[in-house]
Amino acid sequence: MKIKLELYGASREFSEKNYLEFSLKEKSSINDLRNEILSFIDKNFKGNNNFKKLVESSKFCSEQNNIVADSYKITKDQKIGIIPPIGGG
Amino acid sequence: MLHVKIIDVSKEKIDLVKAQKFIASSKCGASIYFVGTVRDQNDNKKVTGITYDSHDALVIKSFEEIYKETETKFKFNNIAVFIEHIKGYAALGDTSIIIAVACKHRTQAYDLSRFIIEEIKKRTPIWKKEHYENKDSEWLKGNPIKSG
Repeated sequence: MKIKLELYGASREFSEKNYLEFSLKEKSSINDLRNEILSFIDKNFKGNNNFKKLVESSKFCSEQNNIVADSYKITKDQKIGIIPPIGGG
Repeated sequence: MLHVKIIDVSKEKIDLVKAQKFIASSKCGASIYFVGTVRDQNDNKKVTGITYDSHDALVIKSFEEIYKETETKFKFNNIAVFIEHIKGYAALGDTSIIIAVACKHRTQAYDLSRFIIEEIKKRTPIWKKEHYENKDSEWLKGNPIKSG
């Protein structure tokens, strides 16, 4: 499956684009996606600890605009938003 | 009665007059305007501006959910709520958010306004990147989102 990870807040530092793309196995979970992102940080940012902490403390948002649990199964190609800790207002 | 919107400041301005017009009602005796602005200092650093980032669909959803919760929590009749938040760059003193509420009585208006801003802080996916006098910039750490 192809996942387009939409970047928000501090996670925008992960790419010059607004998104990253990952290929995941069928029926992967959000937790699997999180691990893929952590591997991406290891590979592209020498394991940048701040970036890894950011990924670990982030939630994820489905294409239907719901915050989803780590156990949520991704069943098809889709967009997922990474939602780092918030601080608006 | 509710109005919610994300204002992309590269395309339009956030406007208090719009809020005033929206909440105006002869059924309400009290109006409160909460206006968030960019201040010049944070954590002993001189701030020159803030870039706001937003997950637009989730932001609108969270504003609507917060409004629904006020209906069950407070059970006030004939209220008007106007919420707009910007995205994009805001310089010192610029407005980042307007929450305007109108209720029958002042205690209701204060309670409602305070509840809405506190809930936005907890659960609305908006991020701030501060820009400093020395040309550095930094995304603020924030708190993990509280969903639902």
